Amino acid sequence: MRAIYLIARREFLSYVATWGFWLSLLSVPMFMALGFGLPMLIESSQPTRYYVLVDETGGRLEAAVYDQIDRSREEEVERRRDVATQMLGDNPQFQAALESSIQLEDDRYVRIDAGTTDLEALRPYLTGASELDTQDGAQPLFAAIYLSEPAPGDVRIDYWSNNLTDSGLRSQIRNALRDQMQLQRLVEAGVDPALIAEADNLAPTVRELNPERSADAAEVTEGDRLPIFVGVATAFGLWIVIFSVVNMLLSAMIEEKGNKVLEMMLASARHHEILVGKLLGVAAVSATLLVFWGGLASMAGLGAQQVMSAADIPAADILAALFSPGLILPAIGYFIIGYLMYGALFLAIGSLCETIQDAQSLMSPMMLVMMVPLFLVMMAIDAPDSPIVTVASWVPLWTPFIMLVRLPQDIGLVDIVGTTMTMIAMAFAVIWGAGVLFRMGALNQANQDTVRGWFKLGGKKKAAN
Amino acid sequence: MTDTILALDGVSKTFKSKPAVTDLSLEVRRGQITGFLGPNGAGKTTSLRMSLGILAPDSGQVSLFGGPPRASALDRVGFLPEERGIYRKMKVIDVIVFFARLKGVDTATARQRGLVMLDEFGLADVADAKVKTLSKGMAQKIQIIATLVHEPEFIILDEPFSGLDPVNQSALEQVVRKQAQAGRTILFSTHVMEHAERLCDKIVLIAKGRKAFDGTVSEALARVPRRVLLETADCADLGSILSGLGSVRRESEDGRDIQVVELAAGADAQDVLKALVAKDVKLTRFEPVRAQLHDAFVQLVGSPAETPAQSETV
Repeated sequence: MRAIYLIARREFLSYVATWGFWLSLLSVPMFMALGFGLPMLIESSQPTRYYVLVDETGGRLEAAVYDQIDRSREEEVERRRDVATQMLGDNPQFQAALESSIQLEDDRYVRIDAGTTDLEALRPYLTGASELDTQDGAQPLFAAIYLSEPAPGDVRIDYWSNNLTDSGLRSQIRNALRDQMQLQRLVEAGVDPALIAEADNLAPTVRELNPERSADAAEVTEGDRLPIFVGVATAFGLWIVIFSVVNMLLSAMIEEKGNKVLEMMLASARHHEILVGKLLGVAAVSATLLVFWGGLASMAGLGAQQVMSAADIPAADILAALFSPGLILPAIGYFIIGYLMYGALFLAIGSLCETIQDAQSLMSPMMLVMMVPLFLVMMAIDAPDSPIVTVASWVPLWTPFIMLVRLPQDIGLVDIVGTTMTMIAMAFAVIWGAGVLFRMGALNQANQDTVRGWFKLGGKKKAAN
Repeated sequence: MTDTILALDGVSKTFKSKPAVTDLSLEVRRGQITGFLGPNGAGKTTSLRMSLGILAPDSGQVSLFGGPPRASALDRVGFLPEERGIYRKMKVIDVIVFFARLKGVDTATARQRGLVMLDEFGLADVADAKVKTLSKGMAQKIQIIATLVHEPEFIILDEPFSGLDPVNQSALEQVVRKQAQAGRTILFSTHVMEHAERLCDKIVLIAKGRKAFDGTVSEALARVPRRVLLETADCADLGSILSGLGSVRRESEDGRDIQVVELAAGADAQDVLKALVAKDVKLTRFEPVRAQLHDAFVQLVGSPAETPAQSETV
């Protein structure tokens, strides 16, 4: 035990002393901050686009365009208000804050009076040779739009702009006129405009119900779906953590073998003590990362939950579901067993290799094995009962990832217990086998060619049979 | 307290159907310096690994401190492997403390001893330096300190002199002598006979995985025929004069004709000189040759060992 502790401690301290560890530690809060802040930053950093609109019909099309744009804006604001009410409840303070902060993407297109409607006069502003005086200072003209109707019902938009990629304004004008043209045609055909508006709003009401619940509590809510999404997110998170950690193990093992430290270690500790010590040391590193990240997320989540509960906001229940033991405990268990399996395998691979280049040839099949659950997890979201997903969840190397997605979907106890027991048995077998390989590799009695030889031998035996 | 520190009894090991060690038996007794000699690939490293339990023998028994090589026994052993290396990113003193703690020494004692030994090795000023900043020779010294810092009763050194320059080889010989004077038992492998001849109380010769000799250096030297090199002014044939004292053969040395007398049992160089003087032979050279372990090695194993200069290229 002394040797295991000392080796684990040395491994832990050697990782913690690296820049990479601290970058990893801070990467999640940094990405979280970026994830929240970047879209807002991008939104706020979008430049205001100034344009000139010329209606050659005398104002009829222009009025139709702006009527339609105003209506669309109102509808979007109403939609956002509804979503906020669902999430945050009918809280006047939040509603007021929301109203003041609503900023639609189309609001960045601002019509300007350039003092002329002549295209040739506007051309220097469009090409950037000259600039217009705007509320943001001197700016080039983003677009000049000419609306005309050469024949009744034949509405044309001439859209002059140097910018080929920002199509928001063009779509806004086109959609507004299209809706107006369709409405006008229906009115001309004798349809009552009120009836058209009523028809636009017609849609069935869908109630999604869970047959396992009593009638009064049967309705399925977003909160019911949340564990599935959390399961998927946890499975991906688990995959990323295991993948990062086993790569740390692999490169450390190769470095140690290259430094020729192992034989001296073997005179002080047995090979299984070195193997377990290394696994525990790196596990402590990843646990430190997870505890720090999880702690940050929990503090933020629980803080938000308390605020929401105090304000009687429905989203508090959703946050409570996120931190339920039913999700967290299996995730911890699958992480430990998954880490031990993959960690032992990668340590064994590392012990067979002198360089990272050596390792790459043995890593390729392992990478394929590790990639499969990513695809299966996606499949399991829609079809947790698919035969492929069910069978794959019994493959011990994939069980930790796929079962995290299947668990919230009411699968049978046989599947849960069976896959878990198979996975634990496999973990022991892998650790034992990795120990044998590690022992051979550490003393240079085996290398990547040896492993290739085993496969060739297996192939020959099959061929002989 | 048993006098036998290490005993191998009929130990064999085979790799991929190639025998590395066959039916090897040897004993290392307390307080002795034992040399484990043999050419490259003779099975020395495999035998040492089996002695420490790093490798399990296919057959035979290994006894370390009277029992199997368990962790408790390993704590009493200091092992310097042939393939040397230490954690390059760690500080020198931390490496020494780490290996001492693996052997059961507490941190404070390990640190104190490590600093003292660094001072003895002239490395006190690099205690807080990263290993990767040191020269290869300095790093080897650090590894020797890491091998000895827990004050082991039994020290095993696998090819300790390889890779060291002559000055450091001499310094390491001093270290070995000092450890022996402190009562430690030492077993070291080498294929360079000169080190063994200078240091060892006992040697074990191994070739092609089998033991070829086990005894003291003088016993090994006794296996070498004693010789006398002669040159005469008239190149007279001395065979008939010395027929009762040994066999005589002619050899060429730097273009000169010399005669080599291999002394028979019971005869010595003085007898040869007396016989030649009595016959009034005009001697220009009379050189009794001192037997060397290298000659014993060739005699016992049948292939030449390496000289220190040759070993430097290994």
